[in-house]
Amino acid sequence: MSTEQVTYGTWKRPLKKTGLVGFLTTVDHKKIGIAYAIGALFFLLVGGVEALIIRLQLMAPENDLISAQTYNQMFTMHGTTMVFLAVMPLSAAFFNFIMPLQVGARDVAFPRLNALGLWCFLAGGIIVNLSWFFQAAPAIGWFGYAPLTARQFDPDIGTDFWIIGLQILGIASLAGSFNFITTILNMRAPGLSMMRLPVFTWMTLVTSFLIILAFPPITIALAELMFDRHFGTHFFDVPGGGKPILWQHLFWIFGHPEVYILILPAMGIISEVLPVFSRKPLFGYPLVVFSGAVIGFLGFAVWSHHMFTTGLGIVATSAFAFLTMLISIPTGVKIFNWIGTLWGGQIRFTTPMLFALGFIWMFMLGGFTGIMHSSPPVDAQQQDSYFVIAHFHYVLIGGSIFALLCGIYYWFPKVTGKLMNDNLGKVFFYTIFIGFNLAFFPMHILGMSGMPRRTHTYKAEMGWNDANFWSTIGALILGLGIAAVVLQVIYSCFKGKPSGENPWDARTLEWETSSPPKEYNFGFTPVINARDQVWENKYGHAEKKMGKIAPGSHGIHMPDQSWWPLVVSIGLFIAGMGVIFHGQPMERLLPFLGESDISLFHMLVPGLFVTLFGIYMWALEGPGGYHLYPDPEELVGAVEPEEGSHGGH
Amino acid sequence: MKWIAYIWIGILLALTAISVPQCLNSGGETALFNATGQQSTLDPQGPLALNQAKIFYVTLWVTLFLFVTVGGALAFAIWKFRMRKGDDPNFVPPQSHGHPLVEMGLVVGSAALLVVIAIPTFGGILLKERPPVMEGEEVLEVNVTGYQWWWGFEYPEYGFHTANELVFPAGKVVKLNLKANDVIHSFWLPKLAGKTDLMPGQENKMWIQADEPGYFWGQCAEYCGDSHAYMLFRAKALSEDEFAAWLEDQQTATVVDASIGDYTPVSTEGMDEALALTGAELFIENCARCHSVDSRVQTMGPNLAHFGSRTSIAAGWLENESENLVHWILHPDKVKPGNFMWEGFPDPNNPLGPPQMEGLMDANLTEAQAEAIAAYLYTLK
Amino acid sequence: MSDVAAHADPLEELKKTNTGVEHKKMAMWAFLASDCMFFGTLISTHLIYRKIYPTVVDPTDIFSIELTGFSSFILLMSSFLMALTVSSAHKKNIKSMRWFLFGTIVFGLIFLGGQVYEFSHFVHHKDLTLSSSVFGSTFYVLTGTHGVHVALGVLWLASWLIFSFTKKFDWVHSLDIETAGLYWHFVDIVWIVIFTAVYLVEYL
Repeated sequence: MSTEQVTYGTWKRPLKKTGLVGFLTTVDHKKIGIAYAIGALFFLLVGGVEALIIRLQLMAPENDLISAQTYNQMFTMHGTTMVFLAVMPLSAAFFNFIMPLQVGARDVAFPRLNALGLWCFLAGGIIVNLSWFFQAAPAIGWFGYAPLTARQFDPDIGTDFWIIGLQILGIASLAGSFNFITTILNMRAPGLSMMRLPVFTWMTLVTSFLIILAFPPITIALAELMFDRHFGTHFFDVPGGGKPILWQHLFWIFGHPEVYILILPAMGIISEVLPVFSRKPLFGYPLVVFSGAVIGFLGFAVWSHHMFTTGLGIVATSAFAFLTMLISIPTGVKIFNWIGTLWGGQIRFTTPMLFALGFIWMFMLGGFTGIMHSSPPVDAQQQDSYFVIAHFHYVLIGGSIFALLCGIYYWFPKVTGKLMNDNLGKVFFYTIFIGFNLAFFPMHILGMSGMPRRTHTYKAEMGWNDANFWSTIGALILGLGIAAVVLQVIYSCFKGKPSGENPWDARTLEWETSSPPKEYNFGFTPVINARDQVWENKYGHAEKKMGKIAPGSHGIHMPDQSWWPLVVSIGLFIAGMGVIFHGQPMERLLPFLGESDISLFHMLVPGLFVTLFGIYMWALEGPGGYHLYPDPEELVGAVEPEEGSHGGH
Repeated sequence: MKWIAYIWIGILLALTAISVPQCLNSGGETALFNATGQQSTLDPQGPLALNQAKIFYVTLWVTLFLFVTVGGALAFAIWKFRMRKGDDPNFVPPQSHGHPLVEMGLVVGSAALLVVIAIPTFGGILLKERPPVMEGEEVLEVNVTGYQWWWGFEYPEYGFHTANELVFPAGKVVKLNLKANDVIHSFWLPKLAGKTDLMPGQENKMWIQADEPGYFWGQCAEYCGDSHAYMLFRAKALSEDEFAAWLEDQQTATVVDASIGDYTPVSTEGMDEALALTGAELFIENCARCHSVDSRVQTMGPNLAHFGSRTSIAAGWLENESENLVHWILHPDKVKPGNFMWEGFPDPNNPLGPPQMEGLMDANLTEAQAEAIAAYLYTLK
Repeated sequence: MSDVAAHADPLEELKKTNTGVEHKKMAMWAFLASDCMFFGTLISTHLIYRKIYPTVVDPTDIFSIELTGFSSFILLMSSFLMALTVSSAHKKNIKSMRWFLFGTIVFGLIFLGGQVYEFSHFVHHKDLTLSSSVFGSTFYVLTGTHGVHVALGVLWLASWLIFSFTKKFDWVHSLDIETAGLYWHFVDIVWIVIFTAVYLVEYL
């Protein structure tokens, strides 16, 4: 492999691929994906520790392990961390790493924008968690219902950390989604029509659309809240004429699609893994894709089922109830099709397959309890009780997290070129599975016997003691299992046995390239002639086998690295801190700065200036690029581009 | 190494096996699912809660049916099509892509099951919004106001207030008008009705009815700040006669005339009068700015006019016993953290500045003084 | 994908995607879809509060519809000039492109000037501020967000105007100008909606 440096523009660009500079300036979707995964797993552990502290506090009635205020901060940060800093970025890690490989692209459409997404994710995650270090973690719940977030009820800066952190995370999600949409629609390999796309890529596309349409309402709601807190507006301020119910509508117009943002990637992963380990194609592929899109679409029409108890009136309550029931149909369709996929196959119980099967079971249970509280009379009793906690943890842990762990075990060989020990993985799966059910099944009983959510303690005579005790034991086992998986991931990165290109006999395009993939992904341009292309290459008819087009005399064009995504996100970080500390004494930020108040000109304006400067430099340096020439043996069987685009073997 | 894994999984399964009967019988000696606990939703004592429990059972049976059929199919598929020992690892099963008829059939089938849930659901929505009252029938109305972390109950037809204990006649519909004073709260009396939120700037309505006289526990179900977990209340359904007596009782004054600042108790029968009078002095000095002892007047704190007749204190968290009361007066911050009784009411326009109304933090009450206040409060029956 | 045939028209090369739409334009369309939701949320916030508290202020006493009508017209005309800019960029006529671009920027600035005047007039003479009433809150945040969009658009177009005088300007950049034009048209269309939903509706 040889490289040829072509310089575009006059600015000197970072060229080092390794070390700190290589990491900070990378635009490679694979490195960015790995960085997302590392960050997400770290925050998963942070959120997990918060969950365990919550469970330990609730282990016994009238326990005083932590104070009420600390407990309220814990559940706020647990929810925020898990949703925005663990599950979403872990999905984004797979989007980044796997999706371009599955569509046969060399990178995403805008590599530097992708890097911006990564740095904004880290900046947002750091801001949200910095609140701990200023003794000001938010205590408003991840839903931040007005007016509890108003200055009057929450004078400290915790809520500001939360607002700004989520805004910057929103930028990260939006930047990533524009990129993925463009990549999937525009950069598919020749012959890879939409109905040949792997289901995971389809779900990436649907999720990206959900993100770009669902994040604006929360962004505006957060901005309005920020204006309420800092500039005296009255959006949610009752004495000034505002309506707290507006916050709930805006939040859930975002919040319900967000639920599908968390679960659709998981469904995509499951739809990849089940066919591989039953050695059969996905049953009813068009219906699975279609139902995913329908779920995404209906997701925007059911938000008020989170608000059945707020007094919506008969018409709105009934309408949202029936729409919510409708959404269980496409969800059910997916489960039927997964069972259909298993039917008649030859099922191999590898670790990823165990997680996938565990997913179906747990997601099914979570779905059933979801059907229960789609009925407003039932919801009137279950809303804000432990029953709801049981429900959404079955969907989010039994669903999303199981699927993401499944994805980790499934794609680890592709990402690192190494195998994870399967027997160890199975032990960890059973640990997680048992711990999870022990932790969350009793919560159904707690909810039906009247235990409300978000209470840091309860009276001994309520009859909730045993279920809470066992739930805590289960949570500890679950935590142990998750920690063990993270340790196994780290261990296997260094000590895993080499995996080869395609250890699972898998079906989709990412398994066609080397493990780990070279920086240009594919030496040749793949020409797709079937849905499960890699499977067909091995077992299919001749006309379904893949074609290869060589890169030609100019080699492969690769994008240049860049500092500016990092600079832009640092600017946003500074500006965000400026808003959070607006009006606070300087010594709150750093002890030696004195007592004068921080104005918007101290940090917000300089931060925005850095951001703007970064954007200009970004634009002026241009995409850049250089050419690479793959090894000739990678191109065996490839035809030269001039000879036509559909050259077979 | 393999045996370690088997032992570990064995331990986990054993733990699960131990936990199941304990969780199912949690609380009661014989009660499965803790169905008779104070806040159990599965022990309905009124028509609305009964309706909601019935619909819950409908959804439960439908989903159990689905679990048995779909889960059964899944279990069967996993069992039947597992890779067995000695199977050819390179075996390629038939590559079938699905069958539209099978798929559409399943879609239609699951839609039909939803109708089974949808019909009673609609009935339940209507019942919640439209209480079963005859035309012209007189219905008791109670205005419920949620405060950070207690409940105010006003009986507008009779013009008096009480706090944290809702009293109403059994066997009759009671209409509740729900409002919030500060943040969102949610009124939940599980044995009588599902919850309805109390929204600031908006009045919500709900109704409850208890079939028989009884004593019920309720709790705030919407996160409302520091002491959300301590925002409980009790509800008493009385027989018609008892309720009439209670109404009359609430409308008689327990102090001589609070409106001119005379807080002397009307009756100190069977109590230490001197102590109660000292308590009255201390009450005026430390408590009277927030707590009214006149049932017709509602101030910032819970109305204490008939405090002695209540069964619980501190918004349903403690039983109304003198030991608890003294502890509550001395250390409100330890009983309910973040409580305004200790830190005082913050100024809404400058929440970090000095409080608008001072709390007990600066009062430095001694135990003897707290006992005197308690003695005074118990004269207010 | 630029590895094939370097002598072909680079603009045509950029269109060789699965959809036939260039990456940048596709991403811009996605962004605009997202932006629709931003403005949709703001406009609905405004309309919701307008219905709930109609008597708090009478907006027709505050608005001067003539001035806003005039600046709306100017903004619409800037859209027309933007279309001409893109057209001359496609025709590779640098001179007319620069003039039309300049006109677009000037019109955008006139609109912004009108908005700055309007805001300061409202604040100083009509006592309508961010915190004076809910109407003030929704009005300023909605129109202010739009103003920021226009300002960023002006900055973007001005950057291209300046860039077009440098040696590095190349006709492959007409794609970028077209993308900026998409944004500019969108901002104008949104203004039509805002003008209707915030101003005109009050005169019904």
